[in-house]
Amino acid sequence: MTRQHAGSGRVSDSPGLTRYGRWAGVPLDDVPVISVIIPTYNEQWRIIPTIGAVALEISSRGEPWELIVSDDGSTDDTRQLVRGLGLANLRLIESDNTGKGGAVRRGVLAARGRYVLFVDADQSTPIEQFDRLLTHITEQGADVVVGSRAAEGATESSRSRVRRALSAGLRAITRRGFGITVSDTQCGFKLFTREAAGGLFAMQRLNGFSFDLELLFLATHLGLKVVEEPVEWIDAPGSKVDPVRVALRFAADLARVRWWAARGAYATASPADRPPLQRGAAPAVGGHPGRLVDQEVSP
Amino acid sequence: MKITARQRPRLALYCMEGRFDAHEAPVVRETLDRALVDGRHLLALDMSAVTFIDSTALAELVRLMKRARDVGGELILFDVSDPVRVILELTRLDEVLSIGSTAELEDLARG
Repeated sequence: MTRQHAGSGRVSDSPGLTRYGRWAGVPLDDVPVISVIIPTYNEQWRIIPTIGAVALEISSRGEPWELIVSDDGSTDDTRQLVRGLGLANLRLIESDNTGKGGAVRRGVLAARGRYVLFVDADQSTPIEQFDRLLTHITEQGADVVVGSRAAEGATESSRSRVRRALSAGLRAITRRGFGITVSDTQCGFKLFTREAAGGLFAMQRLNGFSFDLELLFLATHLGLKVVEEPVEWIDAPGSKVDPVRVALRFAADLARVRWWAARGAYATASPADRPPLQRGAAPAVGGHPGRLVDQEVSP
Repeated sequence: MKITARQRPRLALYCMEGRFDAHEAPVVRETLDRALVDGRHLLALDMSAVTFIDSTALAELVRLMKRARDVGGELILFDVSDPVRVILELTRLDEVLSIGSTAELEDLARG
Protein backbone atom coordinates (compact mmCIF):
# COMPACT_ATOMS: atom_id res chain seq x y z
CA MET A 1 0.00 0.00 0.00
CA THR A 2 1.44 3.42 -0.91
CA ARG A 3 1.59 5.72 2.08
CA GLN A 4 0.97 9.40 1.83
CA HIS A 5 4.01 11.30 3.03
CA ALA A 6 4.02 14.16 5.52
CA GLY A 7 3.51 17.42 3.68
CA SER A 8 1.21 15.78 1.16
CA GLY A 9 -1.69 18.10 1.64
CA ARG A 10 -2.62 19.19 5.12
CA VAL A 11 -3.47 22.90 5.15
CA SER A 12 -1.49 23.35 8.34
CA ASP A 13 1.76 21.96 6.88
CA SER A 14 4.71 24.33 6.88
CA PRO A 15 6.24 25.34 3.52
CA GLY A 16 9.25 23.12 4.27
CA LEU A 17 7.07 20.12 5.00
CA THR A 18 5.03 20.75 1.85
CA ARG A 19 8.22 20.82 -0.23
CA TYR A 20 9.38 17.63 1.43
CA GLY A 21 6.05 15.98 0.65
CA ARG A 22 6.38 16.93 -3.02
CA TRP A 23 9.99 15.64 -3.17
CA ALA A 24 9.01 12.43 -1.41
CA GLY A 25 6.05 11.70 -3.65
CA VAL A 26 6.79 13.11 -7.10
CA PRO A 27 9.81 12.11 -9.26
CA LEU A 28 11.89 15.03 -10.48
CA ASP A 29 11.37 16.23 -13.98
CA ASP A 30 14.34 18.62 -13.71
CA VAL A 31 18.02 17.89 -13.47
CA PRO A 32 18.83 18.13 -9.77
CA VAL A 33 20.76 21.12 -8.47
CA ILE A 34 21.98 19.21 -5.42
CA SER A 35 22.96 15.57 -5.00
CA VAL A 36 23.41 14.17 -1.51
CA ILE A 37 25.20 10.86 -1.13
CA ILE A 38 25.01 8.76 2.02
CA PRO A 39 27.35 5.75 2.09
CA THR A 40 26.05 2.87 4.19
CA TYR A 41 27.35 -0.34 5.65
CA ASN A 42 25.11 -2.08 8.17
CA GLU A 43 23.28 1.10 9.17
CA GLN A 44 19.81 -0.32 9.77
CA TRP A 45 19.71 1.32 13.19
CA ARG A 46 20.72 4.82 12.07
CA ILE A 47 19.84 5.34 8.43
CA ILE A 48 16.13 6.17 8.57
CA PRO A 49 16.37 9.19 10.89
CA THR A 50 19.32 10.47 8.87
CA ILE A 51 17.38 10.16 5.62
CA GLY A 52 14.46 11.96 7.23
CA ALA A 53 16.61 14.82 8.51
CA VAL A 54 18.46 15.26 5.20
CA ALA A 55 15.32 14.98 3.10
CA LEU A 56 13.42 17.62 5.04
CA GLU A 57 16.31 20.07 5.23
CA ILE A 58 17.36 19.91 1.59
CA SER A 59 13.76 19.82 0.31
CA SER A 60 13.05 22.99 2.28
CA ARG A 61 15.42 24.88 0.00
CA GLY A 62 12.91 24.54 -2.83
CA GLU A 63 15.43 23.36 -5.45
CA PRO A 64 15.30 20.05 -7.31
CA TRP A 65 17.62 17.56 -5.60
CA GLU A 66 18.32 13.87 -5.34
CA LEU A 67 19.36 11.56 -2.56
CA ILE A 68 21.61 8.61 -3.27
CA VAL A 69 22.18 5.91 -0.68
CA SER A 70 25.26 3.99 -1.75
CA ASP A 71 25.23 0.72 0.11
CA ASP A 72 28.53 -1.09 0.51
CA GLY A 73 27.35 -4.66 0.86
CA SER A 74 25.34 -4.40 4.07
CA THR A 75 24.52 -7.74 5.67
CA ASP A 76 21.76 -6.32 7.88
CA ASP A 77 18.40 -4.85 6.79
CA THR A 78 19.76 -1.51 5.56
CA ARG A 79 18.89 -2.12 1.92
CA GLN A 80 15.41 -3.43 2.62
CA LEU A 81 14.64 -0.51 4.91
CA VAL A 82 15.82 2.06 2.37
CA ARG A 83 13.91 0.38 -0.46
CA GLY A 84 10.80 0.20 1.67
CA LEU A 85 10.67 3.98 2.19
CA GLY A 86 9.22 4.52 -1.26
CA LEU A 87 10.74 8.00 -1.62
CA ALA A 88 10.40 9.21 -5.20
CA ASN A 89 13.81 10.86 -5.47
CA LEU A 90 15.91 8.46 -3.46
CA ARG A 91 18.15 6.08 -5.40
CA LEU A 92 19.73 3.06 -3.79
CA ILE A 93 23.01 1.90 -5.30
CA GLU A 94 24.10 -1.55 -4.17
CA SER A 95 27.47 -3.20 -4.33
CA ASP A 96 29.56 -5.85 -2.67
CA ASN A 97 31.65 -4.59 0.19
CA THR A 98 34.62 -2.51 -0.98
CA GLY A 99 35.05 0.08 1.79
CA LYS A 100 33.62 3.52 2.48
CA GLY A 101 35.71 5.16 -0.21
CA GLY A 102 34.29 2.82 -2.82
CA ALA A 103 30.73 3.46 -1.67
CA VAL A 104 31.17 7.22 -1.78
CA ARG A 105 32.80 7.06 -5.19
CA ARG A 106 29.98 4.99 -6.67
CA GLY A 107 27.43 7.40 -5.29
CA VAL A 108 29.26 10.50 -6.46
CA LEU A 109 29.87 9.17 -9.96
CA ALA A 110 26.14 8.41 -10.24
CA ALA A 111 25.19 11.91 -9.07
CA ARG A 112 23.68 14.41 -11.50
CA GLY A 113 23.60 17.54 -9.36
CA ARG A 114 25.56 20.75 -9.81
CA TYR A 115 26.66 20.46 -6.19
CA VAL A 116 27.54 17.09 -4.72
CA LEU A 117 27.55 16.54 -0.97
CA PHE A 118 28.41 13.39 0.87
CA VAL A 119 27.40 12.91 4.50
CA ASP A 120 27.81 10.12 7.02
CA ALA A 121 24.88 7.88 7.84
CA ASP A 122 24.81 8.81 11.51
CA GLN A 123 24.02 12.55 11.16
CA SER A 124 27.04 13.31 13.29
CA THR A 125 27.36 16.54 11.31
CA PRO A 126 23.84 17.99 11.36
CA ILE A 127 22.62 18.62 7.82
CA GLU A 128 21.41 22.10 8.75
CA GLN A 129 25.00 23.24 8.19
CA PHE A 130 24.88 22.54 4.45
CA ASP A 131 24.13 26.13 3.50
CA ARG A 132 27.35 27.38 5.07
CA LEU A 133 29.39 25.00 2.93
CA LEU A 134 27.51 25.91 -0.23
CA THR A 135 28.19 29.62 0.29
CA HIS A 136 31.90 28.98 -0.19
CA ILE A 137 31.17 27.64 -3.67
CA THR A 138 28.52 30.06 -4.80
CA GLU A 139 30.10 33.22 -3.41
CA GLN A 140 33.81 32.47 -3.20
CA GLY A 141 34.42 30.11 -6.09
CA ALA A 142 35.55 27.14 -4.03
CA ASP A 143 35.76 23.76 -5.75
CA VAL A 144 35.77 21.63 -2.62
CA VAL A 145 34.43 22.55 0.82
CA VAL A 146 35.36 20.42 3.79
CA GLY A 147 33.32 20.39 6.97
CA SER A 148 35.91 20.68 9.71
CA ARG A 149 35.90 19.69 13.34
CA ALA A 150 39.25 21.36 13.85
CA ALA A 151 38.87 24.76 12.20
CA GLU A 152 38.33 27.73 14.45
CA GLY A 153 34.71 27.88 15.52
CA ALA A 154 34.05 24.15 15.22
CA THR A 155 32.50 22.21 18.09
CA GLU A 156 32.86 18.55 18.91
CA SER A 157 30.68 16.70 21.36
CA SER A 158 31.34 13.39 23.04
CA ARG A 159 34.56 12.60 21.20
CA SER A 160 37.02 10.46 23.13
CA ARG A 161 40.46 11.71 24.07
CA VAL A 162 42.10 8.92 22.12
CA ARG A 163 40.31 9.96 18.95
CA ARG A 164 41.17 13.58 19.46
CA ALA A 165 44.84 12.77 20.00
CA LEU A 166 45.02 10.58 16.92
CA SER A 167 43.28 13.24 14.85
CA ALA A 168 45.81 15.82 15.97
CA GLY A 169 48.63 13.48 15.02
CA LEU A 170 47.14 12.83 11.61
CA ARG A 171 46.74 16.54 10.98
CA ALA A 172 50.43 17.10 11.66
CA ILE A 173 51.43 14.34 9.26
CA THR A 174 49.15 15.42 6.42
CA ARG A 175 50.22 19.01 6.68
CA ARG A 176 53.95 18.33 6.74
CA GLY A 177 54.10 15.34 4.46
CA PHE A 178 51.40 16.11 1.93
CA GLY A 179 50.96 19.83 1.85
CA ILE A 180 47.28 19.48 2.79
CA THR A 181 46.38 22.60 4.72
CA VAL A 182 42.88 21.50 5.69
CA SER A 183 42.80 20.87 9.44
CA ASP A 184 40.34 18.00 9.34
CA THR A 185 40.61 15.67 6.38
CA GLN A 186 38.28 12.98 7.75
CA CYS A 187 34.99 14.67 8.65
CA GLY A 188 32.24 12.97 6.67
CA PHE A 189 30.67 16.18 5.43
CA LYS A 190 32.18 17.37 2.17
CA LEU A 191 30.77 19.38 -0.73
CA PHE A 192 32.08 19.49 -4.29
CA THR A 193 31.21 21.18 -7.51
CA ARG A 194 30.11 18.65 -10.08
CA GLU A 195 33.27 19.18 -12.10
CA ALA A 196 35.58 18.76 -9.12
CA ALA A 197 33.68 15.68 -7.94
CA GLY A 198 33.72 14.06 -11.34
CA GLY A 199 37.43 14.59 -11.81
CA LEU A 200 38.63 13.74 -8.32
CA PHE A 201 36.51 10.65 -7.79
CA ALA A 202 37.47 9.32 -11.21
CA MET A 203 41.11 9.48 -10.10
CA GLN A 204 40.54 8.08 -6.61
CA ARG A 205 42.19 4.71 -5.97
CA LEU A 206 41.62 4.10 -2.26
CA ASN A 207 38.42 2.31 -1.28
CA GLY A 208 38.93 2.45 2.47
CA PHE A 209 38.42 5.30 4.90
CA SER A 210 41.64 7.06 3.87
CA PHE A 211 39.94 8.08 0.64
CA ASP A 212 39.21 11.57 2.02
CA LEU A 213 42.91 12.14 2.43
CA GLU A 214 43.60 10.96 -1.10
CA LEU A 215 40.93 13.24 -2.55
CA LEU A 216 42.27 16.25 -0.70
CA PHE A 217 45.81 15.41 -1.76
CA LEU A 218 44.68 15.25 -5.38
CA ALA A 219 42.64 18.43 -5.09
CA THR A 220 45.53 20.31 -3.51
CA HIS A 221 48.06 19.20 -6.05
CA LEU A 222 45.75 19.90 -8.97
CA GLY A 223 45.30 23.47 -7.82
CA LEU A 224 41.64 23.25 -6.89
CA LYS A 225 40.35 25.73 -4.37
CA VAL A 226 39.77 23.76 -1.18
CA VAL A 227 38.32 25.55 1.83
CA GLU A 228 37.12 24.34 5.18
CA GLU A 229 34.12 25.43 7.17
CA PRO A 230 33.94 24.84 10.93
CA VAL A 231 31.04 22.58 11.81
CA GLU A 232 29.27 21.28 14.84
CA TRP A 233 29.95 17.56 15.14
CA ILE A 234 28.42 15.09 17.55
CA ASP A 235 30.08 11.73 18.11
CA ALA A 236 27.29 9.26 17.43
CA PRO A 237 27.42 6.12 19.60
CA GLY A 238 28.05 2.97 17.64
CA SER A 239 30.86 4.53 15.68
CA LYS A 240 32.72 1.93 13.69
CA VAL A 241 36.04 3.72 14.07
CA ASP A 242 38.71 1.91 16.07
CA PRO A 243 41.22 4.74 16.61
CA VAL A 244 44.36 2.63 16.78
CA ARG A 245 43.49 0.52 13.77
CA VAL A 246 42.62 3.68 11.88
CA ALA A 247 45.97 5.26 12.67
CA LEU A 248 47.90 2.25 11.41
CA ARG A 249 45.78 2.02 8.29
CA PHE A 250 46.25 5.69 7.57
CA ALA A 251 50.00 5.40 7.78
CA ALA A 252 49.94 2.62 5.20
CA ASP A 253 47.54 4.49 2.91
CA LEU A 254 49.54 7.69 3.13
CA ALA A 255 52.57 5.80 1.90
CA ARG A 256 50.51 4.32 -0.93
CA VAL A 257 49.25 7.72 -2.09
CA ARG A 258 52.77 9.12 -2.17
CA TRP A 259 53.99 6.09 -4.07
CA TRP A 260 51.22 6.33 -6.65
CA ALA A 261 51.84 10.03 -7.09
CA ALA A 262 55.54 9.44 -7.56
CA ARG A 263 54.85 6.81 -10.24
CA GLY A 264 52.38 9.07 -12.07
CA ALA A 265 49.57 6.63 -11.36
CA TYR A 266 47.05 9.47 -11.01
CA ALA A 267 47.48 10.63 -14.61
CA THR A 268 43.97 10.86 -16.00
CA ALA A 269 42.99 9.01 -19.12
CA SER A 270 41.34 11.83 -20.99
CA PRO A 271 40.94 15.59 -20.78
CA ALA A 272 37.24 15.13 -20.08
CA ASP A 273 38.07 13.43 -16.78
CA ARG A 274 40.37 16.14 -15.51
CA PRO A 275 39.05 18.59 -12.97
CA PRO A 276 39.48 22.17 -14.14
CA LEU A 277 42.45 24.03 -12.78
CA GLN A 278 41.92 27.27 -11.00
CA ARG A 279 42.11 30.34 -13.17
CA GLY A 280 45.71 31.44 -13.55
CA ALA A 281 47.24 28.24 -12.14
CA ALA A 282 50.33 26.97 -13.90
CA PRO A 283 50.18 23.48 -15.34
CA ALA A 284 51.86 20.75 -13.31
CA VAL A 285 55.38 19.69 -14.03
CA GLY A 286 55.69 18.15 -17.44
CA GLY A 287 53.11 20.50 -18.92
CA HIS A 288 50.30 18.02 -18.59
CA PRO A 289 47.28 19.65 -16.93
CA GLY A 290 45.74 17.12 -14.63
CA ARG A 291 48.76 14.85 -14.45
CA LEU A 292 49.80 14.52 -10.86
CA VAL A 293 53.43 14.15 -10.05
CA ASP A 294 55.08 14.12 -6.67
CA GLN A 295 56.37 17.62 -6.26
CA GLU A 296 57.13 19.97 -3.44
CA VAL A 297 54.19 22.09 -2.44
CA SER A 298 55.10 25.44 -0.99
CA PRO A 299 53.52 26.11 2.41
CA MET B 1 19.12 18.73 24.82
CA LYS B 2 17.28 20.84 27.32
CA ILE B 3 14.32 19.33 29.19
CA THR B 4 12.02 21.65 31.10
CA ALA B 5 9.38 20.18 33.37
CA ARG B 6 6.05 21.99 33.65
CA GLN B 7 3.72 20.29 36.09
CA ARG B 8 0.03 20.46 35.42
CA PRO B 9 -2.75 19.14 37.63
CA ARG B 10 -3.46 16.06 35.58
CA LEU B 11 -0.29 15.44 33.68
CA ALA B 12 3.49 15.75 33.70
CA LEU B 13 4.53 18.01 30.84
CA TYR B 14 8.10 18.10 29.59
CA CYS B 15 9.33 20.55 26.98
CA MET B 16 12.22 19.12 24.97
CA GLU B 17 14.59 21.38 23.09
CA GLY B 18 17.42 20.41 20.77
CA ARG B 19 18.75 17.10 19.52
CA PHE B 20 17.21 14.00 21.12
CA ASP B 21 19.64 11.17 20.54
CA ALA B 22 21.45 8.31 22.26
CA HIS B 23 23.38 10.76 24.45
CA GLU B 24 20.17 12.30 25.79
CA ALA B 25 18.04 9.16 26.07
CA PRO B 26 19.32 8.13 29.54
CA VAL B 27 18.33 11.48 31.07
CA VAL B 28 14.89 11.30 29.48
CA ARG B 29 14.48 7.74 30.74
CA GLU B 30 15.45 8.67 34.28
CA THR B 31 13.22 11.77 34.34
CA LEU B 32 10.10 10.14 32.98
CA ASP B 33 10.54 6.86 34.84
CA ARG B 34 10.65 8.89 38.04
CA ALA B 35 7.42 10.64 37.08
CA LEU B 36 5.73 7.27 36.58
CA VAL B 37 7.02 5.98 39.91
CA ASP B 38 5.72 9.18 41.56
CA GLY B 39 2.26 8.39 40.26
CA ARG B 40 2.19 10.83 37.34
CA HIS B 41 0.99 8.43 34.71
CA LEU B 42 -0.03 10.89 32.02
CA LEU B 43 3.21 11.99 30.36
CA ALA B 44 3.14 14.79 27.78
CA LEU B 45 6.22 15.71 25.72
CA ASP B 46 6.24 19.04 23.89
CA MET B 47 8.32 18.19 20.81
CA SER B 48 8.02 21.53 19.01
CA ALA B 49 11.68 22.44 19.56
CA VAL B 50 13.28 19.04 18.92
CA THR B 51 15.62 19.37 15.94
CA PHE B 52 16.49 15.69 15.38
CA ILE B 53 15.58 12.35 16.89
CA ASP B 54 17.59 9.17 16.40
CA SER B 55 16.67 5.51 16.67
CA THR B 56 17.80 5.17 20.28
CA ALA B 57 15.56 8.05 21.31
CA LEU B 58 12.66 6.58 19.33
CA ALA B 59 13.13 3.26 21.08
CA GLU B 60 13.12 5.06 24.40
CA LEU B 61 9.81 6.74 23.57
CA VAL B 62 8.26 3.38 22.70
CA ARG B 63 9.54 1.89 25.96
CA LEU B 64 8.12 4.80 27.96
CA MET B 65 4.79 4.52 26.17
CA LYS B 66 4.56 0.85 27.07
CA ARG B 67 5.55 1.53 30.67
CA ALA B 68 2.98 4.29 31.00
CA ARG B 69 0.25 2.08 29.55
CA ASP B 70 1.20 -0.76 31.91
CA VAL B 71 0.13 1.48 34.81
CA GLY B 72 -3.00 2.74 33.10
CA GLY B 73 -1.44 5.93 31.78
CA GLU B 74 -0.20 7.23 28.45
CA LEU B 75 2.74 8.99 26.76
CA ILE B 76 1.66 11.68 24.31
CA LEU B 77 3.85 13.71 21.97
CA PHE B 78 2.57 17.24 21.33
CA ASP B 79 3.29 19.78 18.62
CA VAL B 80 5.80 17.54 16.95
CA SER B 81 8.39 19.52 14.97
CA ASP B 82 8.75 18.94 11.23
CA PRO B 83 12.01 16.93 11.51
CA VAL B 84 10.48 14.66 14.14
CA ARG B 85 7.26 14.32 12.17
CA VAL B 86 9.12 13.20 9.05
CA ILE B 87 11.22 10.71 11.01
CA LEU B 88 8.17 9.31 12.84
CA GLU B 89 6.47 8.81 9.51
CA LEU B 90 9.43 7.16 7.81
CA THR B 91 9.86 4.77 10.75
CA ARG B 92 6.06 4.24 10.89
CA LEU B 93 6.11 5.13 14.57
CA ASP B 94 3.42 7.72 13.84
CA GLU B 95 1.10 4.70 13.82
CA VAL B 96 2.35 3.53 17.21
CA LEU B 97 2.96 6.61 19.35
CA SER B 98 0.20 8.95 20.48
CA ILE B 99 0.57 12.35 18.83
CA GLY B 100 -1.50 15.44 19.57
CA SER B 101 -1.74 19.22 19.25
CA THR B 102 -1.52 22.06 21.76
CA ALA B 103 -5.33 22.30 21.86
CA GLU B 104 -5.57 18.63 22.74
CA LEU B 105 -2.90 19.08 25.41
CA GLU B 106 -4.89 21.88 27.03
CA ASP B 107 -8.05 19.78 26.97
CA LEU B 108 -6.20 16.93 28.59
CA ALA B 109 -4.68 19.19 31.26
CA ARG B 110 -8.11 20.56 32.13
CA GLY B 111 -9.65 17.13 32.23
